[in-house]
Amino acid sequence: MSIDVLSVRKRQEGFQFVNELESDSDSDVEMANDEDKVDSGEVAKDGTIVTPGELVTDDPVWMRGHGTYFLENQTYASVAGTVSRVNRLLSVIPLRGRYAPETGDHVIGRIAEVGNRRWKVDIGAKQHAVLMLGSVNLPGGVLRRKSESDELQMRNFLKEGDLLNAEIQSLFQDGSASLHTRSLKYGKLRNGTFLQVRSPLIVRSKKHTHNLPGNVTVILGVNGFIWLRKTSKVDNASDASNVSGRNAATLSGASGDYKPGSNSVSITRLEEESSWEIYSDKNDPIPEAMKRTIARYSNVIRALAHCEIGITEARVVAAYEASMAYSHVGSLIDKDNMESIGQDVINAEKMRGNA
Amino acid sequence: MVMSLTEKRYLQECLISKPPLRPDGRNDDQFRPIEVFTDFLPTSNGSSKIVASDGTECVVSVKSKVVDRSLEDDLIVVDVDITGRRDDSPLVQEIASILNRVLLLQIDQEQLRLTQKYSFKLYIDVLVLSSYSHPLTLISFAIYSALNSTQLPTLISSEDDLDVAELPTFHDYDMSKLNIDIPIMFTLAVCGQNVIVDPASSESDVASNGILVTWCKGKVGAPIRTLSLNEEYTRGIHPDRLAESIRLIEILAPKVLQALDG
Amino acid sequence: MSRLEIYSPEGLRVDGRRWNELRRFECSINTHANASDGSSYLEQGNNKIITLVNGPQEPKLRSHTNATKAVLTVSVNITRFSKTERSKSSHRNERRVLEMQTALVRTFEKNILMHLYPRTQIDIQIHVLQQDGGLMGSLINGITLALIDAGIAIYDYISGVSIGLYDTTPLLDLNTVEENAMSSVTLGVMGRSEKLSLLLVEDKLALDRMESVLAIGIAGAHRIRDLMDKELRKHGEKRLANVSSNQ
Repeated sequence: MSIDVLSVRKRQEGFQFVNELESDSDSDVEMANDEDKVDSGEVAKDGTIVTPGELVTDDPVWMRGHGTYFLENQTYASVAGTVSRVNRLLSVIPLRGRYAPETGDHVIGRIAEVGNRRWKVDIGAKQHAVLMLGSVNLPGGVLRRKSESDELQMRNFLKEGDLLNAEIQSLFQDGSASLHTRSLKYGKLRNGTFLQVRSPLIVRSKKHTHNLPGNVTVILGVNGFIWLRKTSKVDNASDASNVSGRNAATLSGASGDYKPGSNSVSITRLEEESSWEIYSDKNDPIPEAMKRTIARYSNVIRALAHCEIGITEARVVAAYEASMAYSHVGSLIDKDNMESIGQDVINAEKMRGNA
Repeated sequence: MVMSLTEKRYLQECLISKPPLRPDGRNDDQFRPIEVFTDFLPTSNGSSKIVASDGTECVVSVKSKVVDRSLEDDLIVVDVDITGRRDDSPLVQEIASILNRVLLLQIDQEQLRLTQKYSFKLYIDVLVLSSYSHPLTLISFAIYSALNSTQLPTLISSEDDLDVAELPTFHDYDMSKLNIDIPIMFTLAVCGQNVIVDPASSESDVASNGILVTWCKGKVGAPIRTLSLNEEYTRGIHPDRLAESIRLIEILAPKVLQALDG
Repeated sequence: MSRLEIYSPEGLRVDGRRWNELRRFECSINTHANASDGSSYLEQGNNKIITLVNGPQEPKLRSHTNATKAVLTVSVNITRFSKTERSKSSHRNERRVLEMQTALVRTFEKNILMHLYPRTQIDIQIHVLQQDGGLMGSLINGITLALIDAGIAIYDYISGVSIGLYDTTPLLDLNTVEENAMSSVTLGVMGRSEKLSLLLVEDKLALDRMESVLAIGIAGAHRIRDLMDKELRKHGEKRLANVSSNQ
């Protein structure tokens, strides 16, 4: 294998400080006033780009959503982004910004603070989310009351730095989120590795846990936090109860240790699983080949993120297959290789779309 | 960033297996890609900016001054500023002292000599904009690139000025390239029986120790020392790891220099 | 030593500009995507400035929490090598720098929709790699761009520019040589309006000339706003094109 030990890109002329910057404009040229001005009584079209301070509409019938403000009967944009009109609601979706939690989102978070009957969880939003002691399953079954001793040993369940998988239960007035982990598919994360991408790249969907070929499971948190792990019994069970809508590749990969009878999770199973084991800090033994697979998945997801391609199960699998052209996982950190994988995925989709 | 116990255990297991399984699949001797920008500060004699793929970024400026050699001891001064760290924090102090020592030790001050009486003095200012892993390797690469791009005014007065009370005079616009041997430094992380180059922040967090190896004038030179990469996992190292690090750098350094000179 | 002619009878300045011309203005956003929520790089004449915005995020200190609005911090790092002559001090905690930081916080506190971000903190970090006059104006422009890049809601652009008064002629967008030779004013102008969110007059200035100084300053600031707007739209369109082809 001949791999460069160090890949160096050099830039040397002109206004070279910045990536992808074509210094094509001469600033001495007078600007043409070519902006689309909103005329009286009109509203900017769906999808047009607006910048802060720009008049979006002077028609007061519109309800003003995020990214706008209202002054003297006129609605202005407060962020740079695209205009979105849903019924009578007018908002501007920013081009960039932190993750904004919504009720029902499946997210991954990291414990930032252990407090009084609650954990503060970093979910990459503007504020930390709150996980109440009452919103988690504790050893000894779901119906058990939380006692004072639970309060005292909160760090034994979850401590600073721990990663968990949770759902947004509700939002507070100030926009911060409250989480819960009251389901088998949520809880502390083990047996794998973490990576983070920009949150808009993860599209909200019905299912965010996917079993991938090679006995690896990925959790694509809506907040852009991603967990890759060895596929567990629970993953297989939940997958089996939800066979529809999966692509064939996953099926063949995951069906390796498919066990009949484990396809539904009963209450008793739930209690069984709610033992101390769910808060364990130990990993199961993971074979080296699988670790290598996890590293490859992690790199191809980064490649998709680098190309700003929305991350879905199908694309992760497609990118993984495309990456097989590079036998060495470490060569996938190269920009050119990442871009070529992204291109492969897009091209494959276009081909299928045309066929 | 704090990692969870399970993450650390998983990662450590990966890194101590033979050969090491790095989280991004790199070989033990593979660096992360970097981008190098040079000569963007016209008011400095030399400048460079290096961005690593994880967002770690470092800007270096080289400015020169003509000084009377009999009045100055050190002809190279390095100043380090790391965003988010106080100037008197241990990391900043440690990096500044290592850099000052290495550059004074490895660069022949004669190469900065201008006349019998006067020399150039180089002020190297390092600004780390954001750092996720130990920034020493990156800073060292940035200093190398900056010094390599450094242009100094060309002398037109006589070199022999011992008896003349005259300041050196320079050509109006002609510059000549600074020609010195520049040392570069490598940080390596020790994980069990393995030694890996350019550890990422997560790798540094579970490494059992760090080793600093200096390369100058075509060979491994002083200083070679250990470097604490984290507080939790640090333990002593076997001399074999040291020998292995040196062997690794002996193979790698020429390739790295070639890439940087590009 | 011959004195430099600040403003020639033919109406040319030291760098060849006319009285009402701006310096070269180039900017770019999202330059440090891995290190911040929003970032910009700005070259205004020979000023070279990196601005990083982090937040809105959980306050690092409890004492920095405000239950009704965000807390804004600005730190200006003027590097030792930013001028031709290397400075001996690090400029940190210098009175002049602290005053700049305070003025910037005041200006942008009024421009950000702070009430949308209760219990959070917005940190702005500025690195001045090179300076050549009119620094305060450039800092304002850099911050405006980085805030927009971060997706933080603001009322309008604020564009900054400095204006000097040479004898009776106002000169737009001063460089260091000019700044040292005459009295100057720094303006921060809201969008395309004639509202000033910042007015800094640190030298003696004939009041009867103020009007002409403000007039050319506001016109210059509007021009800068348009240049920033153009760059933002260009970036936005590129981004959208990328997304639509990839979804």
